[in-house]
Amino acid sequence: MLITLNQITKVYQIGEVDIPALRGVTFTIDRGEFVAIMGASGSGKTTLMNILGCLDQPTSGQYSLDDTEITRLNRNELAYIRNKKIGFVFQNFNLLPRTSALENVELPLFYGNRLSSRQKYQRAIEMLTRLGLADRLEHYPSQLSGGQQQRVAIARALINQPSIILADEPTGNVDSKTGQEIMKLFQQLNQEEITIILITHEKDIADYARRLIHIKDGEIV
Amino acid sequence: MSLFLTLRVALRALIRNKVRSILTMLGIIIGIAAVIAVIAVGQGATVMIQEQIASMGDNPLIIFPGSARVGGFRFGAGTRSTLTVQDAEAIIKECPYVKAVTPIIRAGGQIIYQDKNWSSGIEGVAPSYLEVRNWNLKEGNLFTDSDVKSATKVCLLGATVAKELFDNEESVGKTIRIRNMPFRVIGVLEKKGSAAFGHDQDNTIIAPWSTVSRVLQRSSFNEVNQILASVTSIKMLEPAKKEISAILRQRHRLSQGTEDDFSITDATEITNAITSISRLMTLLLVVIASISLIVGGIGIMNIMLVSVTERTREIGLRMAVGARGKDILLQFLVEAVVLAGIGGVFGIFLGYGAAQIISNANNWPVLVSTDSILLAFVFSSVVGIFFGFYPAWRASRLNPIEALRYE
Ligand SMILES: Nc1ncnc2c1ncn2[C@@H]1O[C@H](COP(=O)(O)OP(=O)(O)O)[C@@H](O)[C@H]1O
Ligand SMILES: [Mg+2]
Repeated sequence: MLITLNQITKVYQIGEVDIPALRGVTFTIDRGEFVAIMGASGSGKTTLMNILGCLDQPTSGQYSLDDTEITRLNRNELAYIRNKKIGFVFQNFNLLPRTSALENVELPLFYGNRLSSRQKYQRAIEMLTRLGLADRLEHYPSQLSGGQQQRVAIARALINQPSIILADEPTGNVDSKTGQEIMKLFQQLNQEEITIILITHEKDIADYARRLIHIKDGEIV
Repeated sequence: MSLFLTLRVALRALIRNKVRSILTMLGIIIGIAAVIAVIAVGQGATVMIQEQIASMGDNPLIIFPGSARVGGFRFGAGTRSTLTVQDAEAIIKECPYVKAVTPIIRAGGQIIYQDKNWSSGIEGVAPSYLEVRNWNLKEGNLFTDSDVKSATKVCLLGATVAKELFDNEESVGKTIRIRNMPFRVIGVLEKKGSAAFGHDQDNTIIAPWSTVSRVLQRSSFNEVNQILASVTSIKMLEPAKKEISAILRQRHRLSQGTEDDFSITDATEITNAITSISRLMTLLLVVIASISLIVGGIGIMNIMLVSVTERTREIGLRMAVGARGKDILLQFLVEAVVLAGIGGVFGIFLGYGAAQIISNANNWPVLVSTDSILLAFVFSSVVGIFFGFYPAWRASRLNPIEALRYE
């Protein structure tokens, strides 16, 4: 198993009030799967994705990724896992402003990597070319369309050859045609044995995945 | 993330906010420039004082008439002159530590040669004057003891006077008029260079003391403004002072318990007094400069805090793609240090320029040493590290999720 979640809970505390966002989530995901996690707004999808992406630790439960128990790791070890094994795709792209597409894609290579700057540059160019952005290398995010920006973000997620791509509503900020293109891209990547976990509340987007996990009020249904 | 890449990222970030970066640097620039200029002026002054002391001659002792009171040294003559030429003669005869001695009688006045006139000081001295002051003749000859005895109206010109009156033409053998008295020029002194506080040592005329006293001052006493003595070695300064004091007390018939009616000063005392004043000044200015550096540092801290807040999402993203806390810390720390460091470099140039301007305007030598440049650079970097640390630390402690969600 690539991912094993066992009784994961997450409780947010706002002052004296406890807000349970996840209430005992248990599932497994195998290598090479294409999973869509579906649920209404506020059901806990993003919270789950943050835990899966090693950005946050659960309040209780066990999470094993690639046979490593994630809940026992410290901040630096989590950063290392994020760098090597996980590629994030966000709803709002999260590209660095006033920074070229090329440099945005290179960003993960700056951390914990021994490549020369020439090699980094080459790899970023290859990745952008693969995503059809060879003629947009020096463009700033503000000079790109929403679909192009999301493709730059996907190139950034892929640059370190991660085993998992985590995408939180990746089509939420683009038109439906572009959304379909992005989903086709994910399908293509999935054929190359990359595990894809997609979060969405749209049925027709979720249909691109091969497996569906429904979440409601912090529980799998 | 390598340091080189971090440096590049930092430079990019600073260039992206050019105006803000420059304004932030301004505090450091002014602080460092002040430090550089102040040290330059201070060191220049010290060297100048040392040179001036050296130009007084080898291990000089200056004997003033009148008693010394507070402070240990005084310039100029007392109200009533108590030293005579005979005192000077007695010193060289009786004190074994003294190599050469000369009385100095000062006068001043208009000096005229043909249609040119100039004003300068006139020093009436003994032929040993040049030996005492370690000064050489450029042309002509020195006057002799017999010139002194018969109060001959001859004189030697300092370089400035020679230039003003004769403008590079032959002056030896010509006759000039000092206070309307004809004096024959018998020699020209070598240029000594200007001394402290704009006083030009070469703007002088020397003549036999007897001539100055009798002809210019119309005095029949042999009272002098000061006696200048050169001691055989620096170690002998103290014994020489004691011995001279004993000789003069005996000659002036001062009974035990009465105060000296003269004072003896050696160059080290003058040096010490002036150095301690200039050190105090430097210290004061360094304090002011340091305060401005601290203010500059606070400016850096302020702008770095703003920058961390503005770039919260960037920090979150960097963490999401694998940056550790220490990578973020380093990134912002390097940014602060680069800001301060570049400010420091500009400050060094500005300070150097300011020092040059001070030097040109006041005829005051200014020394910019590599030490002070290095010091300034290190100092500004330390300011960057010190004031940049807190914002950078704050950035490194951010929670990646909250940072990514930051609006
Ligand atoms: N940082 C937080 N602090 C407090 N409550 C939170 C926080 N993040 C999410 N929540 C709450 O947890 C629940 C699940 O949120 P989220 O995981 O964002 O849902 P979704 O992504 O499915 O819309 C919601 O009720 C939300 O208000
Ligand atoms: Mg969400």
